[in-house]
Amino acid sequence: MDRAHKKLPKVSYLSIAYNVLIGLLLLLFALYNWWEIDKTSQALYERETMLAKREALEAVTTVTKRIQTIEKVLAEWDETRQQLMYRQYYPIWRDQRVRNAGLLPETIDDIALYDRSGRILAPGHSKNVMPNSLPLRTGGTLYVNEGGHIRLLSFFPIYTESGGSQLLGYGGLVFDLADELRADRQYRYIDLATMRIQLPSGTVVDRDKLAQSLSFGLMPNPSLDKMRSVFQLAFIQITAVFLLIQLASAWLLHRFFTRPLRELAEEINSLRDLDNEEKNFCRIEPLPIRELEELRHSFYEYHSRLLDLNQNLERSSQNFYDQARRDPMTGIFNRRAYDEDWHSLDASNKIEQCSLILFDCDHFKAINDTYGHHVGDSVIKSLASILQGTLRGEDRLYRLGGDEFATVLARSDADNAEAIAARCLEQVLNHDFRQYGVIEPVTISIGIAHGSPGVPLSELQKQADIAMYAAKRPTSRKIEVFGERLNEVSPLLTNKSISAIYQTIQDPFLMEMHYQPVIDLQTREPAYVEALTRINIDGEIIRPNEIFPVVQARRVDAEFDQAVIQAVQRDLEFGRIPEHLGVSVNVSAVGLLSSKVTDMLVYLKLAYPEVKIVVEITETALIDQIEKATLHIHKLREAGCLVALDDFGSGYSSLRYLASMPVDLVKFDISMMRLLEKGDVRQKEVIREVARMVTNAGYKMVAEGIETHAMLEQVVALGFDYAQGYLFEPAQNAA
Amino acid sequence: MALTGTAVHAQRVTIAIDGPLTASAEYLAGQRDKPAVLILHGFLQTNEFPSVRQLTKHLSDAGYTVLAPTLSLGIANRKLSLPCEAIHTHSMSDSIREIDLWLGWLKKRQTPIVLVGHSFGTIHLLAYLETHPDPAIRKLVGISLVEGSLHNVDDAQRERLLQELRRLAAQPRPTLVKRAISFCKQYQSTPQGLLSYMEWTPDRVIGSIDKIRLPMAFIMGSGDDRFGPGWLPRLKATSARVHVIAGANHFMDGQHEFDMLDRLLEELKGANGPGT
Repeated sequence: MDRAHKKLPKVSYLSIAYNVLIGLLLLLFALYNWWEIDKTSQALYERETMLAKREALEAVTTVTKRIQTIEKVLAEWDETRQQLMYRQYYPIWRDQRVRNAGLLPETIDDIALYDRSGRILAPGHSKNVMPNSLPLRTGGTLYVNEGGHIRLLSFFPIYTESGGSQLLGYGGLVFDLADELRADRQYRYIDLATMRIQLPSGTVVDRDKLAQSLSFGLMPNPSLDKMRSVFQLAFIQITAVFLLIQLASAWLLHRFFTRPLRELAEEINSLRDLDNEEKNFCRIEPLPIRELEELRHSFYEYHSRLLDLNQNLERSSQNFYDQARRDPMTGIFNRRAYDEDWHSLDASNKIEQCSLILFDCDHFKAINDTYGHHVGDSVIKSLASILQGTLRGEDRLYRLGGDEFATVLARSDADNAEAIAARCLEQVLNHDFRQYGVIEPVTISIGIAHGSPGVPLSELQKQADIAMYAAKRPTSRKIEVFGERLNEVSPLLTNKSISAIYQTIQDPFLMEMHYQPVIDLQTREPAYVEALTRINIDGEIIRPNEIFPVVQARRVDAEFDQAVIQAVQRDLEFGRIPEHLGVSVNVSAVGLLSSKVTDMLVYLKLAYPEVKIVVEITETALIDQIEKATLHIHKLREAGCLVALDDFGSGYSSLRYLASMPVDLVKFDISMMRLLEKGDVRQKEVIREVARMVTNAGYKMVAEGIETHAMLEQVVALGFDYAQGYLFEPAQNAA
Repeated sequence: MALTGTAVHAQRVTIAIDGPLTASAEYLAGQRDKPAVLILHGFLQTNEFPSVRQLTKHLSDAGYTVLAPTLSLGIANRKLSLPCEAIHTHSMSDSIREIDLWLGWLKKRQTPIVLVGHSFGTIHLLAYLETHPDPAIRKLVGISLVEGSLHNVDDAQRERLLQELRRLAAQPRPTLVKRAISFCKQYQSTPQGLLSYMEWTPDRVIGSIDKIRLPMAFIMGSGDDRFGPGWLPRLKATSARVHVIAGANHFMDGQHEFDMLDRLLEELKGANGPGT
């Protein structure tokens, strides 16, 4: 994966969205608070307006009361009444006395007295505004606009005495309302300079409703304006501080948390691409936050531990893998490795360039049983060592199981494979197995199959199998290369044939028994017949030299022996064997050691006591439990069976067994019989001496493979008791 | 003339003086076997003046019928004392006329009558008695009678002042004048008005006492500062009886009020005899 693709973006959309959201919230907060400040200011203004109206009403009421008080004092003042009766000195009273008496405040601009008819007692100066005749006969207040000033002319009646009804005249006052209001008090809310009256000049005013006719502006309220300014400034400052805090927080968050975390995440991502050995930090500069740096160290430490653990696991896994693919005893590759390598080759279509070589130790089970598992293991190890040492360096040797080995030669043709196989065989034959106590020669059979176009893997393995089984045949040169010829002569070794062998073991009645008479050389009459196994598959006969390699390879010797015994018993029951003749049954070394096989033979004898039952023990060289074998032979002889030592003189039989086991007959191998005819003098002499020795030991001798009269005369001359071969009669189908 | 009840025993009496000009008095009816008493207040005062008020009360309590008028001084139903700085248009003759009206009103109800004046009010009564001899009036009792002198003005100066006032008063539209008189330092008045009061010099007062054929008695305080040191001897030199209350001032207040009242009741006991 390209690291660039894994690099995280500098600023995430979530972060942008978060900051935009905070900004919007801050804007809403600002608008809301600005609106609140405006609303509060408006409420304060409205409250001031209301208080101003109240202040105006109170002030006008106070002025009205004060004017009324002045009028009352004047009306009741003795000297006022004096002027209404003696007006001679009225101007002095009006201009001096009334003011000196302290009854008129300075805000009263003018005063006048009128007689009962409404005429002024004396006209005033030009500056006086009082009319010469009374405008309001019943008293009251008149509004006059004088140069923008609100002048009020108030008139009141004067009686002879307080509360009296005898009218003396009238009094009149004129004053400027603003001056009068101003004289009363200091105003908190009303701006008297802006006061206006909403009435035309000359209008009679109801003093109780005078305040309602007034309009005025508000006094400047520096405190309110200051408060509003302070609030707005404070709000702007708070908003700015919030904004700065937000920006600082975003920067700090980005600088000390987001970016370090992102870098840490990128480092973690980059670690996935590092080799296990790269454990060092990707960055030199420490992260700005100590806890993050500690986390980073902890992570690297944890990562390092994981790498170590991973390496250990990989090593362990490799070990387990190797161990799983290695044969623990020999150290070479095992069956699992073989299968895996084959699948690899199959997957890469390289099979047609490969040669498969199968190695199988001949008679290994006999060696194993005879000398023990320890020796058998040593033989296997030696074989593995020899074969591995002989193969090319790049060629792998597999132990498929037991004594079976295989190798796959890549880029190899059939000739090359055969040459390698020949070298392997030669090295095995040259190896001294006596160092393990094995006296008999240890040989291997080698089957070779070469891949060709269109041949599947399973077929190649089968071909090698066929070749290897072919190589096990006695007549084989121990190395067989699969080809058309081998395929024709080895029909048994097809899957179908192997299946037929197993079916026969399961159902002995499928076995087709052939019987060859063994001639008593004294009477020249058949003494008994030897049961020879055949398997008929769809009209094709599988012969013993093709059956037994499979039986031995599949380790079904005892089972096959039991099948043969059952087949012989079947033929006895069906009268296919003349009752006056005995019958010999070949029993393998494995079968002899099997209690089940010996029990079946004893039962057969008990079932047919009149019939001579001869048990021919083959491959005695493979008998590793002499005592047990001897015990079983005794058991058979006690039951009435005769026991013959088969193949005497071949590699599978020796004098040691002859001396050890209590047999009745010794059956010389055909190879020894042929030496009598074709051997040199010394060979013939050895055979004659052996025959004499066996005879002297008390054994009866059987010669097989007698094909000519010359051979017959020689065996008679040597004292053989029985003989068999084509000279007398080939094996016949019992049916 | 109207009679207005103001209390159980006190009545406010208003009489028309001249046109719309009215005057009021307090009338308290008393025992018929005792002389009625007319009490006149001092210069520019009213019947509400404390000394007058006390006299009215005590005499009424003593069973005397009391009439205490307030001179109008040209002001209808005057209720308050008239300040010195007011425009004074009244004169002695105006007061005599009002006294006459009040005595006429009183005589219709009870006689004989004893006149009691306080301070300058006694001079008003002397002026009345000079021109209105009346057998119903049995006696004049003056309390704290002032001598009529002018402060720091000798007789010659006073005479020149009187002449000046007479000259001003003779003008067709006399202007107001301001002069010191009695307790006023800037008394603003018509020339004729001021002249009418200023003509009552100490000699004229003594002469009037001697001239009027009526029993008179004067109750004076030794501590009164409204007259000079020669005034009491001059009074005592007249035919009138003079009672001097030691330590009493012009207003006879405090404990001297009872001494003054005792002297007054003493004088009133002998005033119920037949008229002269």
